[in-house]
This record gives sequence, C-alpha cells and structure tokens, in this order.
Amino acid sequence: MLTIEKQQENSSYILVLKGEIDASNSVMLDQAMQDLIATGTKSILVDCEGLEYISSAGLGVFMSYLEDFQEQEIDLKIYALSTRVFEVFKILGLDQLISIYANKKAALEA
Amino acid sequence: MLLAILVWLSLLFVDLVRLFGILNELESGIAQEFTWTLEILFFLTVYLFYNYSINKNSQNDFLNLIWRAASTGIIAVFVSIIIDIFYSLLGDSSLLNEPFLRNFFYHVNFALISIFLISGALLWKHLILYQKNKRVVKQWQAYEFAMLIAMLFIYFNKNSLDYSFLFGFVLLVGLGIILSGNLKWIPYLTFREKWKSLLFLFIIINCCGYLFYQVIIYNDRSRYVVNLTDNLFLVSLFSFIFIYALFCFLVTLFNLPTSSVFEQKLTEAISFQRLSQSIQPEESEEQVLDILVDSCMSASYADAAWLEMGDGEGPKGILQERFLNKEQREELSDLIQNLKAAQDWAVEHRPDNLTPLPLRINHSQFESVLLVPLVINKSAIGRMVLCKEVRDGFNKEMINIISTFVRQACIAVENHRLLNQAIQNERYQEELKIAQRVQKSLLPTKLDHNDTFDICAYSNAADEVGGDYYDTFKLDEDRYVMIIGDVSGKGTSAAFNMSQMKGIFQSLIQLNLGPAQFMIKANAALSRCLERNHFITASIFLIDTKAHTICHARAGHVPTLMHQVKNKKTDYLGIDGLGLGILRNMQYEKHVEEKTFNYSAGDILVLFTDGIVEAKNEKSHQFGFERIRSLVEVYHELSPKEIQNKIIDSLHAYVGGDGLIDDDYSIMVVKFSE
Repeated sequence: MLTIEKQQENSSYILVLKGEIDASNSVMLDQAMQDLIATGTKSILVDCEGLEYISSAGLGVFMSYLEDFQEQEIDLKIYALSTRVFEVFKILGLDQLISIYANKKAALEA
Repeated sequence: MLLAILVWLSLLFVDLVRLFGILNELESGIAQEFTWTLEILFFLTVYLFYNYSINKNSQNDFLNLIWRAASTGIIAVFVSIIIDIFYSLLGDSSLLNEPFLRNFFYHVNFALISIFLISGALLWKHLILYQKNKRVVKQWQAYEFAMLIAMLFIYFNKNSLDYSFLFGFVLLVGLGIILSGNLKWIPYLTFREKWKSLLFLFIIINCCGYLFYQVIIYNDRSRYVVNLTDNLFLVSLFSFIFIYALFCFLVTLFNLPTSSVFEQKLTEAISFQRLSQSIQPEESEEQVLDILVDSCMSASYADAAWLEMGDGEGPKGILQERFLNKEQREELSDLIQNLKAAQDWAVEHRPDNLTPLPLRINHSQFESVLLVPLVINKSAIGRMVLCKEVRDGFNKEMINIISTFVRQACIAVENHRLLNQAIQNERYQEELKIAQRVQKSLLPTKLDHNDTFDICAYSNAADEVGGDYYDTFKLDEDRYVMIIGDVSGKGTSAAFNMSQMKGIFQSLIQLNLGPAQFMIKANAALSRCLERNHFITASIFLIDTKAHTICHARAGHVPTLMHQVKNKKTDYLGIDGLGLGILRNMQYEKHVEEKTFNYSAGDILVLFTDGIVEAKNEKSHQFGFERIRSLVEVYHELSPKEIQNKIIDSLHAYVGGDGLIDDDYSIMVVKFSE
C-alpha cells in the first residue's frame, strides 16, 4: 500500500509518501514526479516519515529523474527517512547523489 | 416360414381327409383335436416367423410398421375377393358345390386372415411398447399369455358359442382396450406422416371389417364341416387389431391440428441441444451466433433479424443479417434508437438483469421488434434484434424460450473464450518454462576454485525467472574472480537485464581489470543497455591464493559478510560504491572504491542479495543483516555448503511454512582452507 499526498509550500512542492513502495506501485510515484516536473517548480521535497519500505523498483524511480533534475536545475531533497529505508539508499549509494536530511526544517534551511 | 407352410399343408390334408370321411360316412380315424392342434401349431409358427422378421428389420419407423399391417390386410382381402369373384363366375356349375375345392379356398382364406391378424398384433406390440415402462410391458405379457390360453381354449369349448366363450372374449377385449391406450408414438409423427398413417389405418380398419364379415359368412353357412375360424383366439385378435387401429385413427385425426406445436417444441429442443454442444475450440463464435439467430427466428416466427456485437473481446459489428438489407436495418436501428423505452433499456446499469424488450415501431414493413441482449460475464456484449410484420408479435412464451436460447449461446461463447484463454495461458506457461530453463543455464553449474578454498552457491527466483546473478572466473592458477549481482525489479524484465549483465561481466573479466576499473567499465556498458529507471548492483572479489589477498569493489550491492578467524569477528565489509546504471556519465568514477585485504585459513566470505535481507515474516519484520551475521558466527566451523544450508533453512523458518519470499534471493559462501 502506498499513498502519495502533494502539498505546496511557497514555491516548493512536498510529496508525502506513506506505506511501502514496490514494483506494483512504483508507477504511482513516477506519475507524481512527472506531475511535479510539469508544474515547472524548481524545488521538490519528499517527506518519507511514513515510508516503511522501498524496493529497488522504487529507488529506480528516484534514480531515473536524477539527470532530468540536474539539467533543469530542480532541487530534490528527501527528509525524515527511517533508519531502514536510509540504509537502502546508502547501500545503493544514492545518499551521495541525493540530498538527504533528518527533517523538514533541515531540508528547508539547507 | 417354410415350417408354417408345411403345417398349413398338413392341416389342409388332414381336414380334407376328415371331410372325405364325413361325406362318405366313414370313420377316418382322425379326431377333431388333431385339426385343432395343427391349427395352434400354425398360429405359433406364424407368430414366431413374424416376431423374428419384425425384430430383424432395422427400419422400424412407425409408418413402415403400419404400412406392413395395411399391406398384409390388402393382400388377405384381395385374395378373398378373388375367391368370391371366382365363385360368382362359376355360376351354377357343379364345381360350386364341390366341397373339397370350397374347403381348400376356405383354408387359404383362413391362413391369410391368421397371418394378417398375427402380424398385425405383433406390429401393434411395437407401437404399444414405444417409450415403454414396466407397467405396459407387464400388461402386454399378460395379454400374450391370455392369448396363448385362448388358443388352447378350443379344446374345452369344442367350437361352440357358449358363456365361457363370451366370458373369455369380453376379458380379452377388455385387455385389448387397456393396451390400446398406449399411443405415445403418434405425436412423434410429422404432419405429413400423420396423413399417411391415417390412410393406412383406414385401410387396416376396412380390411379388418371385411375379413370379419367373411368369417361370419363362413360360419353361417353350414357347408363347412371343418370350422377353423370360429375360434376365441382369432376373434379376440380381430377385436384387438380393430380397436387399436380405430383408437390410433381417431387420436391421429385429433392430433393433426396440434402437431405443428409439437413439431415446434421438438425443433426448439434440438436447437437448444445444438447450441449447448456446438462450440469446439477450433470452431468460431460466429457459428454459435448463426445457430442462435436461426433458432430464435424459428421459435418466434420472426420475419427478419440481425445480430450486432458491441465492445468487448471477440468479433465486432453486424454479424448476422436475415431477410433484410442494410437500408432496412439502418432505418429500424434509427427508429429503435429514438424510442425512449429502448434508450432506458440500453443504459441499464446492471447488464446481468437485462431481459428481452418487445417494442412497437412505426415502420412501413415491420411493426414490432424484440431487442435481446447478449450478456457474457455480467457485461452486455451485443444485441439481437428480431423483427415481425405484425403488431405485438412476441408473446411471453416466445420471449422465455428466446431468453433461454440466448443464455445458452452466451454460455457457449463464454466457454469458448475461456477455453481459448486457457490454451493461450498454457502456451505462455510453456514459454516461461523455456525461459526458466534458459536462465538457469546462465548461472554456472561448476564454480571455479582451487584446493585453497571451497565454494558453493544457491539462487532462487520469486517468479519463473529472476534477476539475480552470480559467477566465477579463473584468471590463472592462483587468481580467481567471484561476482554476485542483482537487477532492480523482478520477473521477466529483470531476467532480460540479468542476461545482459552476464554478457558484460564475462567480456570485461577477460580484460584482467582491477575491481574498481571493472565496475567503471561495467557501468559505462550497462548505461547503454538498461532502461532509465533500472539499475544493477554488484560485488566483485578478486582472490589471490598465493598472496592471500582479496581485492574487492562494491557497486550498490548489499555488503558482504566476512568471518575472520584471526580476531574471531564476523563483520560486513564497509566500502562505498554506487549501483551500476545510476550515474550514466564519467562522474561514476568518483563513486566507486576498491579495497585490498589479507585473509587467513578458516576465513569465510558470505555473498548474498537483498532478497535474503528483506524477506519478511508474517509480522512484516525483515530477516535483516544481523541474523545472517549471528548465524555465520555460530556456524563458522562448518563447511560452506553446511553454512549455506543453515542460512537458507533459517530464512525459510523465519518467513514461515507457507510464507513466500517475494523477491529473488541468492547466496554464495567461500571458505579458505589453507
């Protein structure tokens, strides 16, 4: 189960992810990302406080936008990752490519 | 037959001798009883012959049976008339009173009458016992038995008309009437056949009457000393043949007007049967729909019809068109479209509740139509439109039977589709099995190693095929490479990427690259092959058994566990490295490391994929890194194979008996012995 909620704060968009991301629902995340890019925003924040699990397919979604974000100078920040999910990001090495913060405040101030 | 003729001839001879004796007032020495015995023998032989001949004849349709009786009757009457004419031609000549000739002709008549009656009775038996039940069979047996007694009755009664004769006669007639109630065969005749059978029955009744009249005349004339026909058996048979023929005649006559209804019902039953068994896998749906339209049209006497299929799988558009052209159909469609009732009907929310809808329309030719929905699997797949030239032409019975037809046809179509699907699925399964076999062959069956270390590996896919990969390579006598990899996602797409990975690894390994350089090249190659949102994680180990060193690089893969005997510690190898295919440019070089370290005898390496770490139990808790670590710590003295089995067993125990591990998982264990 995965629920994705979109919030707008100033010029930033926040994606609030809750539940688990696996091969069956990674398409939802992909769609949400595309919708945000279509708005033309330059700042996307992902709230992972409610995210319990992410599979390789879910990581693939984040990964696939890295180059697009770089080209369009969109700032992607992920915050409030649980230890276990952060571990997955770290093992894959994504923590070196995506800005990851402890909480929303840290993410906004950075 | 020959026997019957012989008996008849001897009967004739005996009687002539007796006659001669009486005329000459001589005692011939032949008792009356002898005649009777021969008579009974004659009856029996005729009975046996006809019983055999009718049973043998395979073409026993009703009309044939009646025709046989009628033709025998005609012959008997014909012969009897010829004899009469012969006598009337003779005039007053001496031959007229010649007793021997008279007697001869009498015997001929007697034989033909007997044959007519006995064969008739046997033919009636076939008709009466059509669709027999136990009770009717019992009745018939009783009748036959009574007839047998009647044959023998002559010995007691001595050919006189007394009360016992009358009593027996009444009894047999009564039985005959009871049996004559069995007329179940008549409805099965078609209209034409009924007319024919009426004709035949009429002939039989008349023959019967005429022959009976003849018998009476013979009896009245006291000229005949030998009386063969004044016999309870024959008289009763006369009455039976006559009564049954009369019953049949009357019932057939009164059945004539309703026969078309019965025929209609029979056609409907046959249509229904055809609909329910028509469809074979290799046949098309259109054949069923063809039968459906024909059946419904004949059931409702419709003047025109068409069938159109809407959305859903299968053929589309107008599939069947009967007795109307395209313009007429379009005119009617428009008229139906404009009717409010039809509009309401079409937007019915629950198609499984949809029933046929009769409508009146204002069309030059057709005045009423019936809309019939075709519903499969709770969704309307199309409709059939039946048109009639009369107003309100569809009654409740027609609509009921049409609904049944349509339901049956829809079931047939649905079964057909399901069957096709099943066949298709089976083919896919077959293909997947082949894929599974091919993929299994991508994993090595023999792992390269030398005497200084032992190695084993195991891989299991969540679906038929998976995305896990491991391999070994022998660089030279002392240097070996071990690799483990995992493609993002699972199933078929992962399996395809896994085979690409194998190709790239096998090519790069030949170049004798260092682990970090290997990963950089692999990343560059895979970046061109993988879809944008796919990546691969891998770990590579280069073992030098001479120098006792391991050189290792990790590309986003789950860390490898190492047990070191020297400091009695089991730990994950900490090294940074980004997954392959994530950064698809030269920047990747910055994100990969390489480390070299020493090993000693008894040290263990456990390589695995994230399927093991992320396997969950029913409480959704992951198996985790820590469990693997403690298992290796406990069992580090065992052989690699045993350690591997311990880990896999404990993984299954953790997930639970029925719990499925919904990701691919692989494990490789290396233990240094020297």
